[in-house]
Amino acid sequence: MTTFATPMPGNEVKSPNWVQWVAWALTVICLAAGAYGFYLRFTEGHAAASYGSYVPWGLWIAAYVALIGASAGAFGFAAVIFTLRKTEYYGLARLAMLVAFGAFAAGMTNVWLDLGHPFRFWKLLTQTSWTSIMGWMSWFYVIYGLILVVGLFLTRNGVIPKFMERFSWIAFLFAIAFAGAEGALFGVVGARALWESGLTPILFLVEAALFGVGLVAAGALIFGAMNQQAARMMGVAMLILLGLLLLLEWAEYTTALYASVPAKTSAVMTILTGPYWWVFWGLHLGLGVVLPGLLLLFGRGNALLTGIAGALIAAMGLATKLNLVLPALAQEELDGLAHAFTGPGLTFSYFPSTMEWLVWLGTLGLGGLIVLVGHRLFSLATPTRSSASK
Amino acid sequence: MADIVPKENLLVRMQEDIRRALEKPEGERRWGMVIDTRKCVGCHACTLSCVAENKLPPGVVYRPVLDQEIGTYPNVTRRFMPRPCMQCENPPCVPVCPVNATYTRPDGIVAIDYEQCIGCRYCITACPYSARTFDVGYTYTEGTPEQEVYELLPNYEYGVEHARVPGSEESPIGNARKCHFCLHRLEQGALPMCVTTCIGVANYFGDLNDPDSLVAEMAAQPNAVVLKEELGAKPKVFYLV
Repeated sequence: MTTFATPMPGNEVKSPNWVQWVAWALTVICLAAGAYGFYLRFTEGHAAASYGSYVPWGLWIAAYVALIGASAGAFGFAAVIFTLRKTEYYGLARLAMLVAFGAFAAGMTNVWLDLGHPFRFWKLLTQTSWTSIMGWMSWFYVIYGLILVVGLFLTRNGVIPKFMERFSWIAFLFAIAFAGAEGALFGVVGARALWESGLTPILFLVEAALFGVGLVAAGALIFGAMNQQAARMMGVAMLILLGLLLLLEWAEYTTALYASVPAKTSAVMTILTGPYWWVFWGLHLGLGVVLPGLLLLFGRGNALLTGIAGALIAAMGLATKLNLVLPALAQEELDGLAHAFTGPGLTFSYFPSTMEWLVWLGTLGLGGLIVLVGHRLFSLATPTRSSASK
Repeated sequence: MADIVPKENLLVRMQEDIRRALEKPEGERRWGMVIDTRKCVGCHACTLSCVAENKLPPGVVYRPVLDQEIGTYPNVTRRFMPRPCMQCENPPCVPVCPVNATYTRPDGIVAIDYEQCIGCRYCITACPYSARTFDVGYTYTEGTPEQEVYELLPNYEYGVEHARVPGSEESPIGNARKCHFCLHRLEQGALPMCVTTCIGVANYFGDLNDPDSLVAEMAAQPNAVVLKEELGAKPKVFYLV
């Protein structure tokens, strides 16, 4: 097993080979499950999904925003490293770009399959409505995807071109705009009290950075690319971001509960005490905040614990986004609507169908495959250095 | 009593209002509706006639009637609130559409171009009245031995024939759908189906720009209200309470 981070003699932490084998095995399982999910998606259409008219978005949209956020965060992480010329982390930055691309591809596949007419996606680019945040986001995705591909291609031989170091601050600003706009997509929807908040885009920024660094840490663990110094750096970053996340969530929920505006209070109470309370308390807070927080606090500089904490944070990103997307939609907008007319999809309760879970697994498999193959394709195992150091 | 019993046939008067409005250029009309909740008995005839007129599949509804209970025992009342699309003057669903598939027509009706819609459902989340539904592609005879012919009949929403092909993702399957005041009937001089079939004539429909129309007269009543006025969407559906 080779380490690829810029050498720091005697300080590398090598992951055992079985970690990569496990990653491959999980990827293959996800792809196999996804293949059947995709088959169902294209033969039975949306009729096999649980979302409908009153809860029009479900697992796939939550996964999409979680993955795109994590992608933007990982990309921003790489941009910061290049901007600050932290050459000792250049290898990690390259891995971050690859992980960002994998998460981006997985996220985009989720949202593509969620479209009622997936083969009309091109209209987003040829007939864009500039009054729509989603319209803007479509173009952001194109630019973002191109930046990632070009960045990975240019650094494939392990040398970071000078101009990338010089202009990475622009890429960093783009990552902020990108992740913030993702939050604005929800924040501007006045009809949903839970979403419509100035804090929503800020929350998205913090979550993006947190899930992104978490994902990079997990990737670094898998590929044995994390030394003690990197583990310490990423651990501190994740701890700070976890604190910020808690602060923002505290601010959002407590002001909502205190103000007692019914629509928002009801959505917050759905998160805290609704039928899926365990998503907030167990998955998000327990496994996504407290446990990784403890691992990071007590395992400072420990690559294994930092990687596990990162993986937990990134994985539980889905729970965080489920708590944003679903409780806002699961509210009766007008009293009596739930029982006014019955039919499939005319309900305010939602739990993903088997097809939705399978497709979601498939998109994760796709992301995993991109990262595992890309690691070899872009020679990420080779030492990385700046072209300036020739 | 004399005030309660109408001196004229309200449907005939509204029909005449529409005829007059259609003589004007499209941009000078402003279609609107007033629903008298005191007259609504909650029979759901409007809901069902709408389903029949627009060949709505399972899971798609344009005009449900909300059954609301107000007060606590022993002072309890029941109110029925039919809820069509509010055809807002400042519709939150329009600017969020990423491909301009939903737009406000010159006559004020918020329309959907089914062939343009990509089915992202952002508009559904943006509507504060849940007036938009998603056509997932269900059929009533799903899982039965035979697909009934009525399931395959085309609808004529927006004056265009839309054949229904179950199992496909051909529009309107995969689209957001909503009430359009039966535009296809309106342009032929007929009232929306829900207005025609209301057993108590609790719906008033016409051109809000025409001061002589029944709907304009009713919308100006002091007890006329709109839902969620605070959101600033400016609905063109009013309720008499």
